[in-house]
Amino acid sequence: MIEQTLKHSTTSHTSGLLEPVWAEIVSITPEAEGISTFWIRFTDPAVAATYSFQPGQFNMVYIPGYGEAAISISSSSEDSALIGHTIRFVGNVTRAISRLKVGDVIGIRGPFGSAWPIREMEGHDVIIACGGVGLPPLRPVIYYIMNHREKFGKVYLLYGARTPSDLIFPKEYASWEEANIQVHVTVDRADEDWQGQVGVVPMLFYRFRMDAPNSLVLTCGPEIMIRFVVYEGLARRVQPENIYVSLERNMKCGQGSCGHCQLGPYFICKDGPVFRFDALQPYFNVEEF
Amino acid sequence: MQNEFIFGVNSTVALQKKDFDLLLKKLQELGYEVVGPRVDEQTLRYGQINTMNDLPKGYISKQEAGRFQLIHTGHSRYFDVIPGAQSWKQFLFPSRVELFELNKNAGRWDINRTESHSPAYAFIGVRGCELAAIQIQDKAFIREDFTDPFYQERRERAFLIAVNCSNPAGTCFCASMGTGPRVESGADLILTELDNVFLLKIGSELGRNVLNGLPVESASAFLLQAAERELEQASKKMGRTLDTEDLPELLLENLDAAHWQKINSRCLSCANCTQVCPTCFCWDTVDTMSLNGTETKRERVWDSCFNPGYSYQAGGNTRPTIHSRYRQWLSHKFGTWKVQYGTLGCTGCGRCITWCPAGIDITEEIAALRKEVKK
Amino acid sequence: MQELDKVKLELGKIPWFQELQIKHLDMIAGITQLKQAHAGETLFRESDKEDFIYIVLEGRVALDMFVPPRGKVRFYTAERWEVFGWSSVTPSVRQRTAGATAVTETFLAAVEAAKLRELCDQDHTLGYLVMRRLANVVASRLLITRLQLLDMFSSPEENNAK
Repeated sequence: MIEQTLKHSTTSHTSGLLEPVWAEIVSITPEAEGISTFWIRFTDPAVAATYSFQPGQFNMVYIPGYGEAAISISSSSEDSALIGHTIRFVGNVTRAISRLKVGDVIGIRGPFGSAWPIREMEGHDVIIACGGVGLPPLRPVIYYIMNHREKFGKVYLLYGARTPSDLIFPKEYASWEEANIQVHVTVDRADEDWQGQVGVVPMLFYRFRMDAPNSLVLTCGPEIMIRFVVYEGLARRVQPENIYVSLERNMKCGQGSCGHCQLGPYFICKDGPVFRFDALQPYFNVEEF
Repeated sequence: MQNEFIFGVNSTVALQKKDFDLLLKKLQELGYEVVGPRVDEQTLRYGQINTMNDLPKGYISKQEAGRFQLIHTGHSRYFDVIPGAQSWKQFLFPSRVELFELNKNAGRWDINRTESHSPAYAFIGVRGCELAAIQIQDKAFIREDFTDPFYQERRERAFLIAVNCSNPAGTCFCASMGTGPRVESGADLILTELDNVFLLKIGSELGRNVLNGLPVESASAFLLQAAERELEQASKKMGRTLDTEDLPELLLENLDAAHWQKINSRCLSCANCTQVCPTCFCWDTVDTMSLNGTETKRERVWDSCFNPGYSYQAGGNTRPTIHSRYRQWLSHKFGTWKVQYGTLGCTGCGRCITWCPAGIDITEEIAALRKEVKK
Repeated sequence: MQELDKVKLELGKIPWFQELQIKHLDMIAGITQLKQAHAGETLFRESDKEDFIYIVLEGRVALDMFVPPRGKVRFYTAERWEVFGWSSVTPSVRQRTAGATAVTETFLAAVEAAKLRELCDQDHTLGYLVMRRLANVVASRLLITRLQLLDMFSSPEENNAK
């Protein structure tokens, strides 16, 4: 006997658990060593017509026999004809993805998770601070801002990577700047050919004067980088509720059921990956939590 | 033509023990797969119950940290023995379930769903702690925003005969958790065992229908009083207690307490506690591929926060130490579970204490943490 | 405009100079030269004498070390209003521990390090303000170096090998 909602009955058994829909790889864009963007189109026109996502959400990308990987969507949320996933080849599943070719079919479940606070950003300055493959989940935000530039105040992109050749989407920075987004790029180390900045992402907060009470900070990247971006924001008196963090954990089911991606009371796949910092604060500095 | 069945939901009837097989037979005739505790490999396991002779009559279990001993005393009771490692979880949330198969045809994958119906189970002898555990798992698997179809089907079809516990074991602490030894509601029938009769409180319309036609009588005031005395005694036999005051706060505000480190040297990270825990719900997926690469299947299997792979992500394990995994387990059970589901994740069944090969006792660990924090 | 007035004007634009008294600004201006460097021009090399502490007024200066056989490795770039060459004002003056190269057309304020040390010794109020500022520069540089040392973007395999 089940409390409240359920009555004794026999239900027809249709298992929707972990079942993917299929999508064909339309093109593959190499972005940097070990990182490519896979552009896909759903094979079922009905799925293609109804699929939509919000900036910051992710899909579970499934390779039959290998399993699934949680991959953020890096394309525009306002153009879902093709969906882009920018993937770093670091695990078993993503390495299997690296061997796929145009025309191959993959499974998709999603979109899952919380989104960047587009509504809350309206009328405010926005600081997007990210590193490495922390940029792809924020690219839909950049596209959204470009499409609705008048809705937002000053916009800064602070982006860093290990070396100049590890920077992704470099050809797009000029168009972002044309859309009145201040782009500050840095690398951890470089040789003499690099004309840009050398340093780390948190340092890029030194490069402009922030209107802190009127600013939102959005950050994604290695957890250590996120911590120091948050500290820079807090040091400049950005309120914790105006800092948004996208976290990564071992996402598996995408529905807050399997338990793997828990961080304190949260299932990152369902309650995150994007969190308002004040919600994370109690657990933010607990080691190995 | 039968007489109309006069007993309503919430009334209590008496069934002579010799007639219990009629109840089992009725359930079998209704299509239920009747399961309950059986003596097996010197412990108790849940398996098929054909007649009441399959039940562990005359046994008790002695349970302490890291210790389970089944003893045959020859008493006349069928339900006076506290169960072993297994719980009803294995029926509602099987440890391995095939989700679907894929077959490759001309470069495309065709999906084959697992269409088989799960059996409709009748559980014989669900303890208060176990019933509470089922209700806790309901909250995890049947939510407004997500429902697990496998769990839901099994759960909706299950017939529950709960049992009031009159002989708790040494590792039991359900009284502290407020889940037992008495069962108030939440089952189709609630059984209290006396020397010659079973008292059955009717918990649902379905329970009432199952009893219809069986030789039950109204329970006399004498029998009801005798049952009451048994249950009052039971709470006193409980081997352990847990102070539940401000438990979520105790754990979540002391995640950096020194006590956690002390667990490193004792806990083996074997995951036994999570496997025997009737509320632990974590699962993983397993993909297997045929050798020729044209067939693959996905299965859902039990996982544990003590397994290193559980918290693995690109770049390494977010909980690389044993104490961080133990802290995850305990702070989930007694802390964040409350935030997620509105209840604690522990029912006081004591399995994790009994079946820990290192004899780690959560009631002691919580008490030790409380002591450290108070200092 | 007189050279000294130009120096004062430029120094006055730097945010942290705005907390100095006029007399202190004048004292520092008196030991400061404005310099220009073209893209690619070397400002100093490792092992050079530590003579000036620099403030970038405009442009970008790369700090680098020569590592055989990797060549010149850039580990930091100083941007507008940032200080580099700060070890020249510490008590134990050695030789330069890194090289500095203008990445773009760059304008700099070059403060004579030995004279700045003297001024700080004579006027402890100025000394306190200068050293407090330099402590901040050193702390942030140390943090950046630590974050670089962690190699945040390294691949999991490399991390596991460590």
